[in-house]
Amino acid sequence: MNPQYELVIDNICGMGLSFGFDGFRILYAVIATFMWIMAVAFSAEYMAHYQNKARYYIFTILTYLATIGVFLSADLFTLFIFFEIMSFTSYVWVAQDEKKESLRAGDTYLAIAVMGGLVLLMGLFLLYSVTGTLKIEEIVPAIITKSTYPEQLQKRLYTAGGCMLFGFGAKAGAFPLHIWLPKAHPAAPAPASALLSGVLTKAGIYGGLILSCYIFPGDGKWGTLILALGTITMFWGAFLALFSVNLKRTLACSSVSQIGFILVGIGTMGLLGKEFDIAARGSLLHMVNHSMIKLVLFMAAGVVFMNLHELDLNEIRGFGRKKPLLCFIFLMGALSIMGVPFFSGYISKTLLHEGIVEYIHLLKEGEAAVFFTAAAMKAIEWIFLISGGLTAAYMTKLFIALFVEKNREESKQVLFDNRKKYMNPVSASALTLSALFMPLGGLLPHMVMDKIADIGVSFFTVKTSGHIIEYFSFENIKGAVISLTIGALVYLLVVRRLLMVNGKYVDRWPKWLDLENAFYRPVLLTVIPFVSGVVCRVLDSATDGMVVLLRKTVYQDSELKREPEEGNEFTHKIGGMIDRLIRYLNQTVWSYQPHKDNVEHKMAIRYQQISESNAIISRSMSFGLLLACAGLALVLLYLLF
Amino acid sequence: MSAYLPGIVILVPFLGGILIPLIPFKSRTARNIYTEGLILINAVLVAVLLFNPPQGVLEVIKFTGNLRFAFKVDGMATLFAGMISFLWPLATLYAFEYMTKEEHEDIFFMFYSMTYGVTLGIALAGNLLTLYCFYEMLTLVTVPLVLHTLTREAVLASRKYLYYSLGGAAFAFIGLIFIIMYGNSTNFVFGGVLDMAKIGNNTDALLLVYVMAFMGFGVKAAVCPFNSWLPDAGVAPTPVTALLHAVAVVKSGAFAIIRITYYSFGTDFLRGTWAQSVVMAVTIFTIVYGCSRAVKETHLKRRLAYSTISNLSYILFGVTIMTPAGLIGALTHMLFHAFMKIASFFCAGAVIHQTEKEYVHELNGLGRRMPVVFSVFLISALALMGVPGLAGFISKWNLAAAAVESNSVLAYAGVAALLISALLTAIYMMTIVMRAFFPGEDFNYDTVKQYKDPNWQMLLPLCIFAVMIVFFGLKSDIFVDFFGQIAKGL
Repeated sequence: MNPQYELVIDNICGMGLSFGFDGFRILYAVIATFMWIMAVAFSAEYMAHYQNKARYYIFTILTYLATIGVFLSADLFTLFIFFEIMSFTSYVWVAQDEKKESLRAGDTYLAIAVMGGLVLLMGLFLLYSVTGTLKIEEIVPAIITKSTYPEQLQKRLYTAGGCMLFGFGAKAGAFPLHIWLPKAHPAAPAPASALLSGVLTKAGIYGGLILSCYIFPGDGKWGTLILALGTITMFWGAFLALFSVNLKRTLACSSVSQIGFILVGIGTMGLLGKEFDIAARGSLLHMVNHSMIKLVLFMAAGVVFMNLHELDLNEIRGFGRKKPLLCFIFLMGALSIMGVPFFSGYISKTLLHEGIVEYIHLLKEGEAAVFFTAAAMKAIEWIFLISGGLTAAYMTKLFIALFVEKNREESKQVLFDNRKKYMNPVSASALTLSALFMPLGGLLPHMVMDKIADIGVSFFTVKTSGHIIEYFSFENIKGAVISLTIGALVYLLVVRRLLMVNGKYVDRWPKWLDLENAFYRPVLLTVIPFVSGVVCRVLDSATDGMVVLLRKTVYQDSELKREPEEGNEFTHKIGGMIDRLIRYLNQTVWSYQPHKDNVEHKMAIRYQQISESNAIISRSMSFGLLLACAGLALVLLYLLF
Repeated sequence: MSAYLPGIVILVPFLGGILIPLIPFKSRTARNIYTEGLILINAVLVAVLLFNPPQGVLEVIKFTGNLRFAFKVDGMATLFAGMISFLWPLATLYAFEYMTKEEHEDIFFMFYSMTYGVTLGIALAGNLLTLYCFYEMLTLVTVPLVLHTLTREAVLASRKYLYYSLGGAAFAFIGLIFIIMYGNSTNFVFGGVLDMAKIGNNTDALLLVYVMAFMGFGVKAAVCPFNSWLPDAGVAPTPVTALLHAVAVVKSGAFAIIRITYYSFGTDFLRGTWAQSVVMAVTIFTIVYGCSRAVKETHLKRRLAYSTISNLSYILFGVTIMTPAGLIGALTHMLFHAFMKIASFFCAGAVIHQTEKEYVHELNGLGRRMPVVFSVFLISALALMGVPGLAGFISKWNLAAAAVESNSVLAYAGVAALLISALLTAIYMMTIVMRAFFPGEDFNYDTVKQYKDPNWQMLLPLCIFAVMIVFFGLKSDIFVDFFGQIAKGL
C-alpha cells in the first residue's frame, strides 16, 4: 500500500513536504498534464483578443504546478499547502475579464475557497491531535493502535472528518457549497472553465477519497453521509442544469451533478466495505471520464463563445449547423456524459449502478451491515437513474439548440452557416484529440477503462476481486435504457413544453431562489456584521465611556466660563485710581502734552487674557503632570530630610 | 567590553539622537548620512553583543534593597533586540524619503533614534524594574512622534496615547511591587521567581495582580478594550506607524507580558487558574474584534492598525496557552508578524507618499502603476492571511497546534478564532489587492497615469521584507528551533 516511490523534502514550510508516486497519483497527474496541454493549446486562439494575456498564462502555469502538487501529495499537510495555493492562483481565471459579474463570481469563488480552506485546516488540527501524524499512509495504523480509545477521541475524529469534508466538498462543489460553480465557470475563459471543472473539482474529490479510504475506511456511517450528500448533489445539479438557458452555466451545473455521481460511488464504497471493489472502480472511472468529458464540452462551448461572444441558447441557436467537426466533438462529449452504451461514460455509470445494486442485493440477503433499508436504497437507485435521465435531457437540449434547430433570426443563421473558419487547426486538433477518448473507452472497455481502473484502484484500499464485468450484458444495458427513456420523456414533456415559449428557451428558474443571494450573502454580509458591529461598538466606547463617566462624576470638570469677566473689582479700582491720577497730571504737569491712556480698560482686558490662559493651563494634561512631579519632588525632599 | 555593551547600545542612539537637531548640518543628505550611520553602527554593535552574549545578569546601578538596574542578554532579549536592530536601519532609510514631505525633520529623527535606544533597553532589561523604567520612557519619547504633524487629530491622538499608556503602566507597576514583595529575586528567571512560602493563602490576590499587570502591559499591546489609541495614533507619519505601532512599541507590550508570564510569575503558578482563563478569553476576543473592525474600516492605515490589534493578540494568545509550545508559537508570530506588518504599512506609506490617497476605495487600478509596492503588499497580505509557503502560515500553524495540544476548551475556541480571523484577514487585505489589480473592465487607466513607484530608498526595504517573508515561510526551522531553546529556558 505504501507508495513505491516517495520524495520527501524536509525542513521546508514548517513540517516538510512529501510526495508519493504510485498508481492513482501518477494517473491523475498525467490526466491533469494532458488536460493542461490541451487547454493551453486551445487558449492560444481563444485568448487572442483578451487583455492581460501574460497574467492569464502565468497563473495558468502556477495553478498547474499547485494542482500537480495536490495530486502527488503523500501527506495531508502537503496537500493542504498546494490546495490553498491552487485556490488562490485559480482566482485570476475567474476574474480574468474584470467584468462586474466576473468580479462578483470571483468574490464568491474566493470566499468559498478561503472558508473551505480554513475549515479544512481546523479539521487537520483536530486530526493531528488524534493521530499525531498527517501522513496519509500512517493515519490508519495510528487510529488502529488507539482502537480502544475513548468516546471523546472518537467524537473528535468525526468532527475532524466533518471539517475536512466541508473543505474538500467546497472545492469539489458538493451541495450546499456548490454555489460557486454555476457562477465561476461561465465567468472564466473557456479553457480555464474546462480545467476548473475537469481538474480542480477533482482535487476536492481526491481529498474526499483520502477521508473515505484512509481515515474512515469501510465505515458505514461515513459512507451513509457521503452517499446522502452525493445523492442530493447529483439530483440538484441535474435539476439546475435542466432549467439553465446558458451554455456554460448548463455545463457547470452538470459538473455539480456529475460530482454527485462520483460521491454516490464513494459513499457506496464505504457501505459495501473493503470486500468489493466495484464502487471504487466506478468512482475512479467516473472521475477520469468527467475530467475528459468536461474538457471537451467546455472547449466546444469555448469555440462557440470565441465566435459569437454569446452564451445564451437563444442567441447561439443554430451555430453548429453545417459544422461537422464541431458537431462530432460535442456529440462525443454529450453521448458519453449521457451514458449511452459504447461511450466511456456508460462504463463508469454502469459500475456505479452495479455498486448500488450489489448493496441492495447484499441487504436482501442480510449480509451487509444495515445503514439503509433496502427500500431507501432502491429509492436512491431510482434517483440515480432519474438523474441520469435529466443529464440526457439537458444535453439533448443543448445539442438540439446548437446543432439541429435554426436560429430564429434568419439573417443570423446565414451568418452562422457562412462562417467556415471557426477555429484554427491547433484548436481543432486539441479538441478532436480529447474527444477521441470517449468512443475509444466505450468501445474497448476492457482494454482502456479496466486498465485505467487497475492502475488507480489500489489507492482505494479495497480488495481487488479480479472479477470481469460484462459491460454489455442485458442487465447493464437495461439501466442505461431506463435512464435514456426517462431522459427522452423529460426532454419532450418538460423541456419542449414547459421550458419553451413560442419556440424560445426561457429561464423558468425563479430569480429569488438562489442559495447564494437568498441565504449566504445576507447572513454573511448583513446579519453577522450587524450583530458583531453592535458588540464591537459597545466595547469600543467602553474605555472612553469610562473616562467620560468619571469626568462627569468623580473628577468633575470645573465649568469653563463662557465669557471671562473683563476685570474684577481690584483692577477696576486700581485702574480707576491711575486714570484719575493721569487726568490730574494731564491738567497739571503734562498739560501741554496730555496722555490719553485708559488704564482701567487696559487692565481689565489683560486680566481677561490671563484668566483665560490660566483656565486652559489648569485643565491641561501637562499641568497635571507638573503637579504630580511637584508632588513627587516634595515627597522626595521629605524622605531625604 | 561586552559587560558594558548593553549600556553602550542603549546610549549610542539615545545620545546620538539628541545631537541631531544640535549639529548644524550643511544639508539634508549630511543629516541623513549621520542618522543612518548612527543607527547602522548601533545595529552592528547589537549584533556583536548578541553573538557574544555576556553571561548572567549585569548590574549597573544598585538602588536600595533588591532594587537594581540590570541587564541580561538571554534568548528573549536576543530575539527582540535582533528583530528591531534588523528593522530599524531599513525603516530609517525609508523614513528619509518619506519625511521629505513633512516638517520638523530634525526633531523627528531625534526622537526616532532615541526610541531605538529605549526599545533596546526594554529588550535587554534584566529585571522587572529596569523593564518598567524603559517602558515608561518609551511612552514619553514616542509621544512627540505621534504629535508630529501638530494637527488637531494628532494632538488628540497623542493625548489619548499618553493617557492610555501611563494608565496601563500604573497597573503594571502594581505587578512590579508584588513581584518584589513575593519573589525571591527580581531578576528574570525562566519559570518564575515567586516564592511559594511567602505567598501562603494569597494565591487569589496574586492572580488578580497578574491579571492587572497583564492588562496594564496589554495597553501597549492593544488588547481589547484598551485598543483605541492604536488606530488613532495612525495620524503619525508612516515610518512611526509602521515601525513603532506595528513592531517596537506594541511588541514591547507583548514582550513585557511574556516576561511577567514566563519569567516572573511563572507558568506553573498560572496554568489552569482562573487568571489564565480570563486573559486567554480577552485575547481570543481581541483577535476576532480587531479583524472585524478592520473589515469595517475604510481608511488604509487605520485598517492596518486594526489588523495589528488582532495580530498582537495572536501573540498574546500563544503566551496565554502557557506551555512551551504556546511560547514557541507566540515568538514565531512576534518575529514574523513584525516583517509582514511593517511591509504592508510601508506599502501603505508608499501609496500615501506617492499619491496622497488614504482610503481603500481610492486605490483602484494602482497595481499596474506601482507594481513593486503592490506586489510586496500582496505578499504581505497573503502572509498575514496565512497562505502556506509564507511566514504567516508557519506562525499560525504553530499557534494552533499548541492550542490543540493544550487540550483545553477555551484553547479550541482560540483555534476557531484564529481561523475566523484568517477569513476576515482575507477579506480586509484582499479587497485592497483586488482594487489595485482588478479595477474592473471599464476602469480608465488614464486617471492614475501620473503615479509611479517611489525611489530606491523606499523600495529597498520593501523588497527586503518581501524576501524575508518568503524566506521565513520556506525555511522557518532555524528560527523555530531557536524559539524551542528559548522555551526551554535559554
